[in-house]
Parts: sequence; C-alpha cells; structure tokens
Amino acid sequence: MSALPLMRRTLADSWRGLIGWALGLAAVTGLYLPLFPSFGGNSEFLAIIESLPPELVSALNYDQITSGAGYTQGTVYGLLGFVLLTIAATSWGAAAIAGDEERGTLELTLAHGVSRTQLVLERAAAITLKLAILVIWVSLLATILNGPSELGLEADGIVAGGLALFGTALSTAMIGILAGGVMGRRAIAVGAAAGVAVAGYAANALGNQSEELRWLHAVSPYHWAFGANPLADGLDAAIGLLYLVAIAAVVIAVLAFRRRDVGV
Amino acid sequence: MTAAIEATALTKRYGRRTALHGVDLRVEPGRVVGLIGPNGAGKTTTMRILLDIIRPTSGTVRVLGDDPREAGPRLRRRIGYLPGELIMDSRITAGRLLTHYAALNGEANAAPRIGELADRLGLDLRRPVTALSKGNKQKVGLVQAFAHRPDVLILDEPTSGLDPLVQQAFLSLVREATDEGQTVLLSSHVISEIDQAADDVLILRNGRIAQVSTVAEVRAAADRDVRVTVRAVDAAALTGHLERLPGMSALSTQHAGETVVLRGRLSTGLDELVSALAAQPVLDLVVAEPDLERAVLSFYSDAATEQTGGAQ
Repeated sequence: MSALPLMRRTLADSWRGLIGWALGLAAVTGLYLPLFPSFGGNSEFLAIIESLPPELVSALNYDQITSGAGYTQGTVYGLLGFVLLTIAATSWGAAAIAGDEERGTLELTLAHGVSRTQLVLERAAAITLKLAILVIWVSLLATILNGPSELGLEADGIVAGGLALFGTALSTAMIGILAGGVMGRRAIAVGAAAGVAVAGYAANALGNQSEELRWLHAVSPYHWAFGANPLADGLDAAIGLLYLVAIAAVVIAVLAFRRRDVGV
Repeated sequence: MTAAIEATALTKRYGRRTALHGVDLRVEPGRVVGLIGPNGAGKTTTMRILLDIIRPTSGTVRVLGDDPREAGPRLRRRIGYLPGELIMDSRITAGRLLTHYAALNGEANAAPRIGELADRLGLDLRRPVTALSKGNKQKVGLVQAFAHRPDVLILDEPTSGLDPLVQQAFLSLVREATDEGQTVLLSSHVISEIDQAADDVLILRNGRIAQVSTVAEVRAAADRDVRVTVRAVDAAALTGHLERLPGMSALSTQHAGETVVLRGRLSTGLDELVSALAAQPVLDLVVAEPDLERAVLSFYSDAATEQTGGAQ
C-alpha cells in the first residue's frame, strides 16, 4: 500500500499553482533586493523617508529600511512576500476542507477507506510542504542576492526571517483549515484565514504608533514574526507562538471535523 | 446470520426539519434491495448515514455487523458507494482518479480491475474527468464503487444519465456482484430498474419505511388492467356480474357496433373473475401483467395525502 495517498494527490493536483507562486515570489524578490545599493546609503532616499509622516513610516515598518536586513524585511519578508504567501496560504487552507466540501467532492473521498483525522492531517501536511518549498525558495533567492545587492545578511538572519515568514503563512493556512473543518463554508474559511492575517498586520501597525496602543503587538501574529527584526537580529521566541497557533488550529480542526456531518 | 445492513429506529433531524423518523430496515447478505420513494423521502440521508458521512440524531446502524461511526475506514473499505449527486471536477484523467480512490482503499494494484470495468461500461480512462459528459462521469462513479469488490454496494440512483445499453451493463455488474455474495442496496425512482435488478423493495416515504417486501409480492398486490369484449346483447348481464366482484374498480363500458368492451381494474379475485366470465360467451379477454410502477405510485400518492392531511 502506498503511503499518504491524500497528501500525494493534493501535491500532484497543485504543482502548477506552486510554480506560479514561486515565479511571483521570484519576481518580487528579484525586483526589490537588487535595488538596495541605490537606496541604502543614498541621501536622497533617506530624505524621502524622513519627509514621510512618521506614522506612515512606522506603519510600513520602514524605520529600519536603511540597513540591508531592514530593507529586506521591509520590502520582501514583511511586505510583498508576506502578502503573496498569505494569499497562497489562505486559498490552500480554505480549499483543503471547505472548498472540497462545497464543491461536493469531499463526500466521495470520505466514503473510501480514509478517516477524517487522516484527511485533515494529510492535507495540512501537503500545505505545510508547499509553503516550506516557497519559503526555502525565497531564502535561497535572498542568499543568492545577498552579496551582489550588498544586503549584508547573516546566515542565521536569513534562517530566522524564513522561519518568521513560514510561521505567518502556516498559521494562516491552518486557521483556514480550522474554519473549514468547523463550518464547511469556503467563504468563512477564507474570511477567517485572511482576516486573522490582516488584523495581525493592522494590530502591528497601530501598535507601532504610540505607547497606548503598544499592547496590540502582543496579539499580532505579524508582530510575533517580524517585531524583533529576525533578519537583523536572528530568532526570537515569539516566532514560536505562530507555530503553536498552527498546531492548535490543526488539532481543533481535526476534533471539530470528526464530529460533524459533511456536505449538508 | 448477521444482516449486511441493519438500522433500528434511525432518526435524523436537521434543526427543525426531520429527514428520518425512526427508520427500521434490514438487508440480508447477498440480496439486492431497491430503496424507492419520492424526492425528499430520506433515501440519500439513509445511505449517507451508512457511510458515516452524516451521523444519525438517534437510533443504531450496523453495516456488516459494525457501527459505521466506530469502525471507520476499515469498514468503508468493504463498502462501495456511489453518491446520488456525483460531482467530479478533477483535471486529472479518469484512470488516475480511479487509481487514487483505489489507493484510498489500500489497493495498490487496482489497474487491471479498473480497466476491465471501464471496458464493460465503455469508459475512456485516458480522458480528463472534467471533460467527461454526465453519463461518463456516472461510469467513473460506478467503476470506483465496484472496483474493490466490496461486500456491500450502496448505490444512490446508479443509472441516472446512463444510456440503455450501459444500463444493461450495470445490471449485469449487479448480477455478478450478487453471484459473488455481495449485497446491494440501490435507490432509484426509475421503478422499472428496481423491477429488473432487485429482489426486495423498501418503500420510503416522509422519512419512514412504508413497506418492505419482495418485488414479486409488490407486483402480486398491484392492480391488473382487465379488458373483456362481449356481444352487445350480453353486456348488461356481464356488467352486473363484474360490478359485484370485490376486487374490481373503475369499471367502464364502451360500445363498438355489435360488441361492447368492458374495462376495469382488478386488485384481487382473479378466480372470481374467471368464474363470472364462464357464464357468458366472451369474444376477447386481456388481463394485463400487474404493474409495479402503479403499485409504487399508489404508495407515493398515499404519502402525499398523509403529508397534506397530517402536517404538523
């Protein structure tokens, strides 16, 4: 008997999409990082940043943008790469149970020799693998561009940034699986996954604005990932929270999905 | 002997709507049982409970002696299921999809059997599933249900969308399955299909089992159309005789020149009819084969009256 049939089916069905996401991430990384030498020490660019309203600069996390690590986080890891991976994670997470169920195709899969637990876990594993491939791809590109683009990134900074990015995408995807496992509605799963990611970003941006709003950082997954500037300063314990959320979401998804009727 | 399928006091509620009101049913191993009933009677709900896709609100279910909820994948590998609303939108080929379903059942080398079934039903395994017509998707559904030679086949509207030739191929698959001791529960609202395929009939209406019997019994209980042609001079006397028969209804007379055609519908008392006719010279007599469809439709219309009369 061949192992993990559901996981392999998901991967086989989605490798084209995966290549698309990889190309998108390559475009973002390949366009932004090589521009750093013309920005980093450039006084005109610094003047532009300084002329921006300070609230905007902190909302966009541009306060570190003059360092290579700050620039890489401000453009790729914490912005466009984050957005692309969040979209991918949301759509995959919502499709895993809710999308399949709404299309009416989940019923026949579950009528075969698979358990509900196995279905959730194998599909979660497939998404984890796909997201890992994309994050490794981004890390690889950053490593390659590090020298030519004069970013001055350290190896452990790239690893920490990758783990932060992976953690945000993974928790987003698993929240999509959780909402789908509980409700079985794709729109709700998309809303939950994207909603948490967007709310986390907003909470971080607001928390950056003032002392009174700083508490928002504590509830922002985005801040857990990028608040401690992983590309510059390496791993921070808060990144672990993202993985705890992801694991908790999968566990609850399994428990909820085992209990309910499918396709009604 | 353990029943292949057994349900006791099976109830399913969705919020306020009750889909099943305490269904009791028993399917003996090796039988082909037709589950019939109007739309919304609970056929699909019953079948989905047997597969543990939905869970009963109360009551017990056993398939091959096991509770579907407890037994899980181990039991489902022994069941072949064809959903009533078969949706297939995969971009992979039919062959790959079928191999995938076989892998879910733990069968690594299912290709020869899949190929054989596809040949018999006339399905091209190389085409992508999305590109298939409704009838061809239905064939994919049938192949995945029969492929692993399951002990129990649960088929919801198996021949919908199939042309008559393929329907015949399906019937031969069902016969083969029962020859090998497999049990088949199939739902349909095409009564002629039940007539051809099934040994027993379960009539489901409004979430209750209305009748359980063999196809032969249902047919025997069905009305027969009777048509007698006599000379005009004998008509009045014969009409009198026929009207007195307890099983006769809807008696009508039609004059055609020198002869009169009497038509009626007979439920019981064929022997009484014969003796009534013996007293007269009869020019022509036709007693039609009892109509299963009419017998079943009478259950449906009873159900409709019950529904309007006994609304909660």
